[in-house]
Amino acid sequence: MAGRTGAQRPNGATQGKICQFKLVLLGESAVGKSSLVLRFVKGQFHEYQESTIGAAFLTQTVCLDDTTVKFEIWDTAGQERYHSLAPMYYRGAQAAIVVYDITNQDTFGRAKNWVKELQRQASPNIVIALAGNKSDLAQKRMVEYEEAQAYAEENSLLFMETSAKTAMNVNDIFLAIAKKLPKNEGGGPAPSRPGGVNLNSQQTQQSEGGCCK
Amino acid sequence: MSELGEADFGLTTFFARSHPNDKCGANGLPLTPNSIKILGRFEHLKTISHENLCKYIDIQRGKHERLLVVTEHYQQTLKNVAKSGKYSVEENLVTLAYEIVKGLAYLNKRGITHRNLSQENILFNKKGKVKLSEYGLYYMTEYGANVAFPIGHPQYLSPEVLCEYPVQYDEHSESEPSVLTPTGPKSDVWSLGLILLEVLTGEEFWGDLTMPQTFFKILSFVNSDIHPLDAISKDLDIESQVKTLSRDFMDFLRKCLSASPMDRANPTELMDHSLFRDLRQKNSKTKNGHRLFSSDLRSLDLELPVLGQNGYNKDYNEDHLSLRTMEEVYYLWQLAGGELFGALKREGLVKTKPPIHLLPYYSTLDGEVFGQRRDQAELLDGTIITLSQEQLRKRLSEIDETAYYPLLEDENSQVTTNLPSSPSNSDISETASLPLVIREKDVEYQFHRIILYERLIKGYPYKKSHIWREARVDIPPHVRAHVWAAILEVEGDIYARYDSIDKETPTNTDRQIEVDIPRCHQYHELLSSPSAHAKFKRVLKAWVVSHPQYVYWQGLDSLSAPFLALNFNNEALAYSCLSAFIPKYLHNFFLKDNSQVIQEYLAVFSHLITFHDPELSNHLEGIGFIPDLYAIPWFLTMFAHAFPIHKLVHLWDTLLLGNSSFPLCIGVAILRQFRDRLLTYGFNECILMFSDMPEIDIQRCVQDSIKIFCSTPKSATFRQHAREPNKPGTSSSRPNISYYSRDYNEQPKSELSMEPVKVEELKTEKCCRISAEDLIEMGELCGPSSSKSPTKRKPNSRPMIIVIDIRNPEDYAKGAIPGSINIPFPSAFSPEGDLNPCAAVNVLNQNKQQVKVIVGSRGKNANNFAADLVRLGYHKVCVLHKGIDVLRSTNILTVPPADYF
Ligand SMILES: Nc1nc2c(ncn2[C@@H]2O[C@H](COP(=O)(O)OP(=O)(O)OP(=O)(O)O)[C@@H](O)[C@H]2O)c(=O)[nH]1
Ligand SMILES: [Mg+2]
Repeated sequence: MAGRTGAQRPNGATQGKICQFKLVLLGESAVGKSSLVLRFVKGQFHEYQESTIGAAFLTQTVCLDDTTVKFEIWDTAGQERYHSLAPMYYRGAQAAIVVYDITNQDTFGRAKNWVKELQRQASPNIVIALAGNKSDLAQKRMVEYEEAQAYAEENSLLFMETSAKTAMNVNDIFLAIAKKLPKNEGGGPAPSRPGGVNLNSQQTQQSEGGCCK
Repeated sequence: MSELGEADFGLTTFFARSHPNDKCGANGLPLTPNSIKILGRFEHLKTISHENLCKYIDIQRGKHERLLVVTEHYQQTLKNVAKSGKYSVEENLVTLAYEIVKGLAYLNKRGITHRNLSQENILFNKKGKVKLSEYGLYYMTEYGANVAFPIGHPQYLSPEVLCEYPVQYDEHSESEPSVLTPTGPKSDVWSLGLILLEVLTGEEFWGDLTMPQTFFKILSFVNSDIHPLDAISKDLDIESQVKTLSRDFMDFLRKCLSASPMDRANPTELMDHSLFRDLRQKNSKTKNGHRLFSSDLRSLDLELPVLGQNGYNKDYNEDHLSLRTMEEVYYLWQLAGGELFGALKREGLVKTKPPIHLLPYYSTLDGEVFGQRRDQAELLDGTIITLSQEQLRKRLSEIDETAYYPLLEDENSQVTTNLPSSPSNSDISETASLPLVIREKDVEYQFHRIILYERLIKGYPYKKSHIWREARVDIPPHVRAHVWAAILEVEGDIYARYDSIDKETPTNTDRQIEVDIPRCHQYHELLSSPSAHAKFKRVLKAWVVSHPQYVYWQGLDSLSAPFLALNFNNEALAYSCLSAFIPKYLHNFFLKDNSQVIQEYLAVFSHLITFHDPELSNHLEGIGFIPDLYAIPWFLTMFAHAFPIHKLVHLWDTLLLGNSSFPLCIGVAILRQFRDRLLTYGFNECILMFSDMPEIDIQRCVQDSIKIFCSTPKSATFRQHAREPNKPGTSSSRPNISYYSRDYNEQPKSELSMEPVKVEELKTEKCCRISAEDLIEMGELCGPSSSKSPTKRKPNSRPMIIVIDIRNPEDYAKGAIPGSINIPFPSAFSPEGDLNPCAAVNVLNQNKQQVKVIVGSRGKNANNFAADLVRLGYHKVCVLHKGIDVLRSTNILTVPPADYF
């Protein structure tokens, strides 16, 4: 169990700058948020991926040119009821992936609501990506690619159709986010960990994300 | 429950149809293996219990979709018996027909069609009673859809079965093969008619015909004008024998052998046939049966045998094991080393071909294959292996016969502390001290425990407190389902209650339930079967519908999984256990707005961590690893989302005996088990570690939880959102086993008790508060009182607490708690944050093991002082709720001795 610090890519993480970003996944239950994270972080796919209660946390590091980008990923529970917990996770996030299931129109509607909420409540320069997951089930498609793409353009979101099952576009969407994230200026909103009222003051250095060291 | 009697255990094996390798279902995920589907359906067969039917006992999966089925079995078949010509006598034939019809009618009532009746699977026990077997194959394979072989004996198939569309499946289509209209029970009646004719004449019909010829013959009856009975008699030249039969019998046969199912009787109708007039009367219905947790009068039909009458004396059976249920004996058989696959191998039934022989001749690049021969092993092999009970009987041979009938001592006699109270030999008490895993594998130990529990459960609810006592030792897996229900105090007519709940009408939680179920404990073979999913859905919907004040939160599925797995064939009990569990441990956790409830719970959890492990608490808080981030799934599901079921049951065996605060101690025990790692980890590593629960030693965790619980002052886990006692005064009927099981909120309240504190305030505090009551009791400030707190101590040892009064010396001198030390807060700490040395501090340091109760007056000083002690690594630090003022009304406070200063 040791050394589970988010598998580092070979020959990464040694040279160049290291950037740390907080990323949150949002979307209706069972659209495949946890599956996308698992695919990205461990390269695996579990057919019977357990449902998420509250939220789960994983990390993964990617290399972009000479920069190492470390994602701290919060995978949230999709059930509407857990909605009230969500701000605790997207607060201070530099990036968000809003996921829907291309075989289910309702989940696309829910995704749009998440985008709206993020635009209103999250950090102003948050990078939002829209992921139409389960693209392997194209024959069951209920949300047209064009429709989603048009919506993404209107709202200046990154957009890709992904499949956690086949791995299609999974790394790509995280990479695209990494590329879009600001890596040069030293500022950026310091991410705060979700949680108790009185804790922000006690955050230690290691949580200063959004900038390069 | 059927007794073993002289039954053997019979083992058969067959293969489920395997799915093509890469085939996926409509959701893009792999299809549920057919063997799993069968496993799920098989469970229903276990509930089939009738005097003329062999019981289904167990099913296991082997490699390559192999299934191994264990049933009640007898050596004598109709085929053998008929050879004697016994059935040319009509009377014998009528009895035979009656017993078969009885079995079929029962199956009919339970929704099962045999479809496979033959002379080989009509068995007789030693008393000559008919026992049908193999009647479940058609049912468990989803009417043949899950196997690649046809079911039924060709010569006995009824015309409508032959007209049926065979099971069709297209390897490339997405949809699963399914049988549109499963054959009804009337087809069994046709087979019965033919079999009766066969044994009457002593001939085997159409033995020399090929299968198509046989089918052709049977189908020819459909369009013919003459009754099939006449046609068959003529065809086989048996008219003379048939003519000897009585009119009643002829009529009976005609009803069986009607070509059209419309004209044919079903088994239930046949029961009422005039042919059976006399037999029906003889068939008395005295059964001392009673279903647990139902409201039937359990002694209504009870007939006590009278010594010397009805052969009671000569019925005395020396083989006590044979009076135990088949399930129980089979369970013990396995513990005694019985193993199915080994038995199969010994009999040469595991035929493996080198894989190269199974390769197709030709394959295209697209993966289409040609010339792949069908593996003969996939066909049904009718062999039945008798499993020898010898080894088991040898293992149990030393056991005294009185051990089969343990006496239950009455309530007030000795309270068993650690040993099972079964009056068995001393070995058992020795075994009782071994680790649980060993005890669970020890056939003798389990034998004693099962027998004891089985008696106790029969006496439930009267034996409730005895069950509690025994459960503190351990709970045998074989009886766990009922023991849990007893501990959860499930009572009353649970079946009627469950039946009356609407589990079908769509609601808006359906979608969530439907997406959660296929993700819930799916490594568990049984829970991953379609039958389980249907049950899951009903149980969850039933709970949501009947608890309108609550809602479905993701996690409720995990919570119900253990109950369903244990009570797979008893949804009502699974539901009742779930419904009893939630108010006990998760009161108001499923409110639509549960944030206050959960926040308070987590705040108390933090306090407990600090109380027991300040170093860990300091570290975790320093890195921001707060319970909100990892512990919500733990507590919301009572760890059912964190552990696999086989581990969870051991945790819950103990959890169920504890009160509603006990789970908090489990949480602390889990952290303590990983303490060394956590202390070296930063935030990311910590949270990753719990993102999926690492391997844990559950037994150690359970032991630690108990220790933690016992060293926690009871009021420290006070939660205002915990359940209030139902009705004041009428304390629950729960046995008063110990503090362990009672809730703080169930105690009478006084001004010295805990009171609600705002969650926001709780969260700002680092240490727990304790009540004045606890202080008085633990400090023994007014003599030995009624024991309310878990913390007990041996006489003549130091008091378990040390009271630290942090007020200024003047106030202290005016009146203080006897034995308390005074460390005034303003001068207590040096600028570096260390305790300034003084006499009182020395006393404190000499009493590091004691619970430290910080007493102040109003204000935050006491909390801050406590937090500082924690920072310095002092453990077991708590604060007196409401400070010194709360004690003014008591006459405890005294002026400290003059020499104190
Ligand atoms: N065919 C297909 N199935 C997928 C894909 N991604 C996820 N799934 C399946 O969809 C189901 C739900 O996936 P999860 O990852 O648990 O969904 P989630 O969004 O995390 O759900 P919550 O935790 O309830 O919010 C699982 O059974 C996955 O196996 C995909 O790309 N293709
Ligand atoms: Mg998830």
